[in-house]
Amino acid sequence: MTQSFKTPLLFALVGAMFIFTGFTSSWNSALSIFNMGLISAIMALGVNMQWGYAGLFNVGVMGFVALGGLGAVLVGMPPVAEAWAAGGVRIMLGLLLALATIIGAVQLWQRMAPGRTRGVAMAALLVIGFFAFRAVFDGGVAAVEAVNPAVTGNLGGLGWPILIGWPVGGVLAAGAAWIVGKTALGLRSDYLAIATLGIAEIIIAVMKNEDWLARGVKNIIGLPRPVPYEIDLQESPAFVERMQGWGADPVTASSVVVKLAYAGLFGVVLILLIWLTQSALKSPWGRMMCAIRDNEIAAEAMGKDVTGRHLQVFILGSAICGLAGAMMTTLDGQLTPGSYQPLRFTFLIWVMVIVGGSGNNLGAVLGGFLIWFLWVQVEPMGQWMMNLVSSGLDEGSPLKAHLIESAAHMRLLTMGIVLLVVLRFAPRGLIPEK
Amino acid sequence: MTNPYQDNRGNKDRSITKSSQMGGSVDAVRPLRKSGGHVDEAAFLIGDTMTGGYGTGADILHGCTLAVNPGEIAVIVGPNGAGKSTAMKAVFGMLNVRSGAVRLKGEDITHLSPQARVAKGMAFVPQTHNIFTSMSVEENLEMGAFLRRDDIRKTIDQVYDLFPILGDKRYQAAGELSGGQRQQVAVGRALMTKPEVLMLDEPTAGVSPIVMDELFDRIIEVARTGISILMVEQNARQALEIADRGYVLVQGANAFTGTGQELLADPDVRKSFLGG
Amino acid sequence: MDILNALVVFANFVLVPATAYGAQLALGALGVTLIYGILRFSNFAHGDTMAFGAMITILFTWLFQSWGLSLGPLPTALLALPFGILGCALLLLATDKVVYQFYRRQKAAPVILVIVSMGVMFVMNGIVRFIIGVDDQQFADGERFIISARDFKTMTGLDEGLAIRTSQGITVITAIIVVAALFWFLNRTRTGKSMRAFSDNEDLALLSGINPDRVVMITWIIVAALATIAGTLYGLDKSFKPFTYFQLLLPIFAAAIVGGLGSPIGAIAGGFVIAYSEVMVTYAFKRVFGYLIPSWEPDGLIQLLSTDYKFAVSFAILIIVLLFKPTGLFKGKSV
Repeated sequence: MTQSFKTPLLFALVGAMFIFTGFTSSWNSALSIFNMGLISAIMALGVNMQWGYAGLFNVGVMGFVALGGLGAVLVGMPPVAEAWAAGGVRIMLGLLLALATIIGAVQLWQRMAPGRTRGVAMAALLVIGFFAFRAVFDGGVAAVEAVNPAVTGNLGGLGWPILIGWPVGGVLAAGAAWIVGKTALGLRSDYLAIATLGIAEIIIAVMKNEDWLARGVKNIIGLPRPVPYEIDLQESPAFVERMQGWGADPVTASSVVVKLAYAGLFGVVLILLIWLTQSALKSPWGRMMCAIRDNEIAAEAMGKDVTGRHLQVFILGSAICGLAGAMMTTLDGQLTPGSYQPLRFTFLIWVMVIVGGSGNNLGAVLGGFLIWFLWVQVEPMGQWMMNLVSSGLDEGSPLKAHLIESAAHMRLLTMGIVLLVVLRFAPRGLIPEK
Repeated sequence: MTNPYQDNRGNKDRSITKSSQMGGSVDAVRPLRKSGGHVDEAAFLIGDTMTGGYGTGADILHGCTLAVNPGEIAVIVGPNGAGKSTAMKAVFGMLNVRSGAVRLKGEDITHLSPQARVAKGMAFVPQTHNIFTSMSVEENLEMGAFLRRDDIRKTIDQVYDLFPILGDKRYQAAGELSGGQRQQVAVGRALMTKPEVLMLDEPTAGVSPIVMDELFDRIIEVARTGISILMVEQNARQALEIADRGYVLVQGANAFTGTGQELLADPDVRKSFLGG
Repeated sequence: MDILNALVVFANFVLVPATAYGAQLALGALGVTLIYGILRFSNFAHGDTMAFGAMITILFTWLFQSWGLSLGPLPTALLALPFGILGCALLLLATDKVVYQFYRRQKAAPVILVIVSMGVMFVMNGIVRFIIGVDDQQFADGERFIISARDFKTMTGLDEGLAIRTSQGITVITAIIVVAALFWFLNRTRTGKSMRAFSDNEDLALLSGINPDRVVMITWIIVAALATIAGTLYGLDKSFKPFTYFQLLLPIFAAAIVGGLGSPIGAIAGGFVIAYSEVMVTYAFKRVFGYLIPSWEPDGLIQLLSTDYKFAVSFAILIIVLLFKPTGLFKGKSV
């Protein structure tokens, strides 16, 4: 079977799975899965760019996704004027101070002659800078967090349309990627992996603990939406009338329509990104990336700035992950830092890329849909299986209770096995790179 | 298509086994008079009309024959890319010999693994990465004798007698030694199995001329104990001077064969390989 | 100025816990570094291997407790430890047979093996959650303290108490024994030396007749022992929760890299560097300074970073090492 025939067939199969879910359970749930599938596909595109184009092993996807979500919040939420008045300026001043310290330290390191003095001077500058930063910053934080902590206690955002937050989320992720990339690129692949793993944990820790920023674990809820609210639709006589005209229940229909609207928005982004990544891959830039990947030494000998290109693609890929994160937060309408788990937001994306086909954008997209679908469906399937397995046991048996309770963990097991099986028997993935 | 499991997408990590690559290009050497057919059937170790290459790749050797007897030094010389190291590796079982045979004491060992050949009394000193740099000199020797279950103390002392400097530095990490000393460790490690055949791949690569002379002296000493020595050398002139047999390889085939002195005296060999 | 009390506070809240934590990290990092040295990849499943080993130990501990078996003042878990190691070793050997062996035969690129280990991590994580769940598990028993704060106060007459928990004492002692045994094994035994040789130069090790399958098998067994011990000690000292073991991956890798990947000594040094920095940076020094400079009444806690940012400390150290000395303190084998 040729690949040009196989690819549409695979996509059709995945599509059929969604349609099947629509018919058997409900269009609402099929669409929910589909929307997250779109977002997963975008994340997978980002990771595929890093891994497939340049062989960069990024296991900090979670962090970039979360930063994207933060971007959406910071743009979309209305500002809290009171908090700004209480300590906003002070916080900004503190952050500026921290930035100035770091820039100063870097400058110092580059300008001074190497030696003991340089080390001591830089350490001293960093220590002084740190305490100055804390002195200014802590007071501001306390003041901001004291403002109506039950509802806000944070600075809020810009109050702009949340769609602007999407690229902003991407930019935030790109910034974090720049920091990691600057230090860990050009070393062994494992080092980049560990560094990205670390930055992701830190990003989540910051988002959980810095209440002034986005309320930490108290969560931001009620993000403004780029699409209409279900309740508004249900209250609009025109909508109700039309839906009834089509013989649909207005309540169900309203939620389907909202989901379709999201799907439309996400779909546009996805198609745009596929188009961009595909044309990037075919451009001289893409050919250079492939050349670097296939033979780094030769590329370097030909005067290509390998580490520079790697940094570029690493930042771009992370930015796409950030964009997807912002979209996801928008879809959820809330930012809950406590819910970011590396297994779900980093390693699952990797499974998508590997299963779909590393180095192939369409493969990554397919993997995104397929694996997300499995991730959602494995749990009920596990439940069903456990019920079957334990059907012979007594109703009150503790083993039965344990088995049924554990069904929720079937997901990880299944995903691990899927990854291992694909790596072993189809290492190029479902849609291999040409 | 490349093996997808080896596709590390450009990451330059140290790989789990560095595949030892040969320099591929064959120098433009005019085809010389072949002296094939010189098969010493009774030789102690013989690689008989070997043809083969790495993995499933193209053949590098084309009917190449090498032989050595106990106490003899056989030297393989030739231009870059002639397949000298490859020929030696073929004798040691490190590449696919598609036709021809390798026989030790008349026994066909063509299909034995390198490890099994070590057990049969062959020892090999690779050109590079031939010592355990993080381990002490003595530990290097102990590892050389890994297959032996008897007392290795005596052999270690013999190696120290042969290379006194190693005895002095026995507890020092081998990686901290000078180039010549490292080669001594490498040869010492190979001698630890009490081999009957010692194979050396360019033992003098990258060492100074004085150290080279010393190493050659040691190699002669080793040969005097009755060990057969098969050696690839870049320094053709010096190597042929100590050689009982010399093999000039060109493009994976025997071009000239003779004693070291014969080859040194041969005007064709002189002109092409020894710089007049 | 009251140096004695300040010192006791410091020891009680920083020195003792950080030493125990450092020993746990060191054991974890040793496992990572051994796998790296012998099998040449960074094993992302190591945190979950620790969780698995600890889980088996816990299950046996519960079994023994139900039988009424105990070690008196010592935790029963020590009795269950050998069984935990056995269980973990069986799992790792099975994993190697089913998963890793194939890639070794294929001479797979290290980064492929890292991805494979990611899959193994998923599976192990799933198994652990499946068997024991995601909640905190208590399995420590026996005497809680070697010396409690109150005893210390009555003994010394100081205002501040120094408590040393049994788990902390056991951690340090076990770690010393394990590390001594490991180094004896690596440096003195034929098998241990063959492992070092294999790690140093695989091709030459093969030429010397060292059996790679045997080296790999022994490595997995040692790694199982190290991981199970580290996991159990960590669980005894803090508590057993599968997810925290996954999170330990970062400090453990940081420790291994800081020390120099592939270097056992480095792993130990790295473990303590990370542990001490982490605890010192996240400890509120208010009381220590309160004794040292009684007249000074700071309004803050004199805490550099909140404890929630302990990962940031490992990370910062990791970044500094990567920037300035990528081979680590003890010259690992990679760049």
